[in-house]
Amino acid sequence: MIGRPLVSVVDDDESVRESLPDLLREFGFAVQAFSSAAEFLASDSIGQTKCLILDIAMPGMSGPDLQQELKLRGQAIPIVFITAHGDETVRPRVLAAGAVECLLKPFSDAALRKAIDDALQTDEGVGP
Amino acid sequence: MENDLSSVVDSLPGLVWTAQPDGQVDFLNRHWSVYTGLSIDEALGSGWQLAIHPGDRPGLLERWRSMLAAGEAASMEARLRHLDGEYRWFQFRARPLAEASGHIVKWCGTGTDIDDLRRSAMGQPGGNDDHRSVADIIPAMIAFLTPAGEFENANRHVLEYLGATLEQLKGRRASDAIHPDDLPSVIAASERAVATGRSEPYDIDHRIRRADGVYRWFHGRVMPLMDLQGRVVRWYIVNIDIEDRKRAETLLAGEKQLLEMVARRQSMSEILKALCRLVENAVTDCYCSVVLVDPDYTHLEAGAAPSLPPGLTNPMIDRPVHVDTGPCAMAIFLNEQVIASDIALDTRWDAWRPMAMAHGVRACWATPIASATGPVLGAFAVYYGEPRTPTPQELGLIDQLTHIASIAISRAQGDDALRRSEARKAAILDAALDCIITIDHEGCVTEFNPAAERAFGYRRDDIVGKQLADTIIPPSLREKHRQGFARYLATGETKLIGRRVEMTAMHVEGSEFPVELAISRILLEGPPSFTCYLRNITERKQSEERLRRSEALLAEAQHLSSTGSFFCPRPGEFTWSTELYRIFEFEQQMPITFELIMSRYHREDIPLLNDVIDQVNRGVIDFDYEHRIVMPDQSVKYVRVVAHGNPSKDGHFEYVGAVQDVTERRRSEAALAKARSELAHVARTTSLGVLTAAIAHEVNQPLSGIITNASTCLRMLAAEPPNIDGARETARRTIRDGNRASDVIRRLHALFSKKDTAIGPLDLNSAAREVIALLMSDLQRSRVILRAELFTDLPLVVGDRVQIQQVILNLVRNASDAMSDVDDRPRQLSIKTERDEDDHVRLTVQDAGVGFSPQDADRLFDAFYTTKDSGMGIGLSVSRSIIERHQGRLWALPNDGPGATVSFSIPCRPTNMKGTPELGAMRIVSGEEKAMSNQ
Repeated sequence: MIGRPLVSVVDDDESVRESLPDLLREFGFAVQAFSSAAEFLASDSIGQTKCLILDIAMPGMSGPDLQQELKLRGQAIPIVFITAHGDETVRPRVLAAGAVECLLKPFSDAALRKAIDDALQTDEGVGP
Repeated sequence: MENDLSSVVDSLPGLVWTAQPDGQVDFLNRHWSVYTGLSIDEALGSGWQLAIHPGDRPGLLERWRSMLAAGEAASMEARLRHLDGEYRWFQFRARPLAEASGHIVKWCGTGTDIDDLRRSAMGQPGGNDDHRSVADIIPAMIAFLTPAGEFENANRHVLEYLGATLEQLKGRRASDAIHPDDLPSVIAASERAVATGRSEPYDIDHRIRRADGVYRWFHGRVMPLMDLQGRVVRWYIVNIDIEDRKRAETLLAGEKQLLEMVARRQSMSEILKALCRLVENAVTDCYCSVVLVDPDYTHLEAGAAPSLPPGLTNPMIDRPVHVDTGPCAMAIFLNEQVIASDIALDTRWDAWRPMAMAHGVRACWATPIASATGPVLGAFAVYYGEPRTPTPQELGLIDQLTHIASIAISRAQGDDALRRSEARKAAILDAALDCIITIDHEGCVTEFNPAAERAFGYRRDDIVGKQLADTIIPPSLREKHRQGFARYLATGETKLIGRRVEMTAMHVEGSEFPVELAISRILLEGPPSFTCYLRNITERKQSEERLRRSEALLAEAQHLSSTGSFFCPRPGEFTWSTELYRIFEFEQQMPITFELIMSRYHREDIPLLNDVIDQVNRGVIDFDYEHRIVMPDQSVKYVRVVAHGNPSKDGHFEYVGAVQDVTERRRSEAALAKARSELAHVARTTSLGVLTAAIAHEVNQPLSGIITNASTCLRMLAAEPPNIDGARETARRTIRDGNRASDVIRRLHALFSKKDTAIGPLDLNSAAREVIALLMSDLQRSRVILRAELFTDLPLVVGDRVQIQQVILNLVRNASDAMSDVDDRPRQLSIKTERDEDDHVRLTVQDAGVGFSPQDADRLFDAFYTTKDSGMGIGLSVSRSIIERHQGRLWALPNDGPGATVSFSIPCRPTNMKGTPELGAMRIVSGEEKAMSNQ
């Protein structure tokens, strides 16, 4: 399946890790799901991930923490944040830090698709 | 006729008279009257006695009376007064006149003047027959010897004693009959008398051999008649028999000697031997023995038999005390004298008789020796080689010596008993574990046994003779002792004698120690003396004290822990501790019965009791159960019973058990459960703003899943060909997430249904303590070491106890959770309360967990910042909002070392505030109400 871009999902909520990859595969992406930031950082998928779908509130390293970490490592992976907390103060902060989008749960499949597409665009735009 | 005869009689020159049978003179002849000058009338009856020489009158009358009594003719001599007042010796002869039947009707007598005759008899030796008859009357042996000591003349007594006629005697030397042992002294005395050259009498005692060869003692009065040249012309000798007196003297001396031996406490066998020898010496040809009887009066024991062959006496030792054994045994048995005058003719003692005969014994007189108090001590026996019956004299002698033997034996046995008793007493004194001290009536120590030496440090020799009050009685008690002692001696009143009391005594080195003391008065005559029995009871006191203390400690411990104990040695028998009585609210010491226990049992728990009884009967030995008891005031107590049975000696089980009043625990458990649910309730209702976000999160999560899954499902179904299995799976997940959302809603509904929360004065310490109690088991499970430093005298604050507790709970939980992965150091957690500045009170929770970096300090309080995933928890953000609503602040600081410190500080209650009426009215029931009250 060369050419199918890899979308990685990092969320501590199991139901998200179950449902989201199925949807993304229906969209035609390759999917890897991780339950924590640490798990993702330790994986081989960082390099191939074209888009990262990242939960904000997680035990241990939070979503914004991972965003920071990746920036520090020079990994410019486009990030789409998802969160169940309808806190308006979080969204501007993560977008300012370079996130492609911040989706509030529950989100529609169309909104997700658009965000991923934007992320891939970004990737292509900045890529070589 | 009679007158004729009377005139005849009157004309006789001699004195003639008659008397009636009773001695009254009824006739005197005229010559009598003429001679004496007394008229007949005066002299008749007893008047004649006036004419008798006063010196001779008593002797004459006695002789007269004895003659009347004997009824036989007699003659007597006395001096009769002539009318001119001169006395002349007369011989009076009297003869009875009797009828044919022998009955005396009259006495006839004559009086003959013998004065001249007497005078010539006394002055002229060897005189005529008249003189001789006078000499014969004198009860003494009278002899005249030639200057060479040969018999010249002798009276009848001499002839009879020596068994010879005067003719045979003449020419024989008087000294031949003198005992050889006495002869030298007799000769010496005569030589001394001759040497004086004067005719003077001298006295000498000596023994003279009788015709039968027996010597008897005589007292001799001897006078040599000297001529002018100093030569002996003739020896006059009068010997008076003093044998009986001598014998009496000998016996007396012997008895005295024996009694001296007794007094000198010589051995009984020596005394008895001496006694036998005394009798053997005093009585010719006899042998003596003493046998004793054992204390049980059943067997004979050896006494003394110094002159008897052992073959005769030894076989009697240990023979039974019985009439058949022998004369001595018989005498002892019967306590009567036994006389065997001729053993050859006797028929008693079949075994003893031949043996006695074989040893030449022919007579034996055995006399029991009785003690003064009655019991027979033994027997005294006299043996003869010839048949013989005791004379009254001998019986008297035996009686006398038996008495001495009794004294000697009683005394010896008494001494023996005394010696034994003394030895026993000494042994008792020496071996006694108790101190035994005797004192006399002046309070001086007279005895001090080894135990007392050990206890008091005095040596017996040093303390005997000293005042008790100066030695072992402590100075503080001495005056009291002296007074008590004096009072007892004066009045007999005592608080001590015959009782067991505890006192203080003093060691020679001055230390004092407790003693148990008993004093008894020694029952002896004379001034009172006392025996004191003392025992050092220091150790007993100490162990009593220890026991008392440990009992008190146990009682205290039982009281503090509300735990009673019981002992049940056999079914239905109970011993309860004081605390158990208290728990059951029975009166102390009330006898515990099964029914009594049953009466307290909660009606619903009776089946439990029956079950326990059933188990006991089945031999179950361990019990641990809980039941309720109902007090008289109908209050209910929960008690936990733990018991264990041990097999007893009689085959039962003895149960020992503890009963704990767990009512408080039960109540606080219930209270804790209530507090927990209230806390949980408050946790969910405190901050609506924060809660909304939480609710949003909780609901949005499943909603997100539902939408995603539904979208996926649609896409799967819309694919060509449709992915049915995938769609089914996603649809299933959709339903599941829908249910999850529904649960959240239901929980929220429940959360808001509870409303009451109140505000009031609050002691932060007690709030913290309750939280600690609530969490203790969790903390222990997590191996967290909790240290609470709660400031004493902490001012009260105002607030909602449950909310504040919720904050403390959260801080402690966070701290504990932060250390869950810590294994390289102690999981130390401290809770501290203290006064803060500006009338604030501060509570600090410090952990040694993962901590946080300084730059994250603010973010800690973000509503969504968490390090854990425990469902719908409210984190520090809720805590902070609660504290801020109490006009306080909450902050966190990283530690210098590992871990973090989170503190909050809230204002104290204003001192002028009486209760919290306004705040008390403020009720946090819901977000809306809170919002309203804030306005």
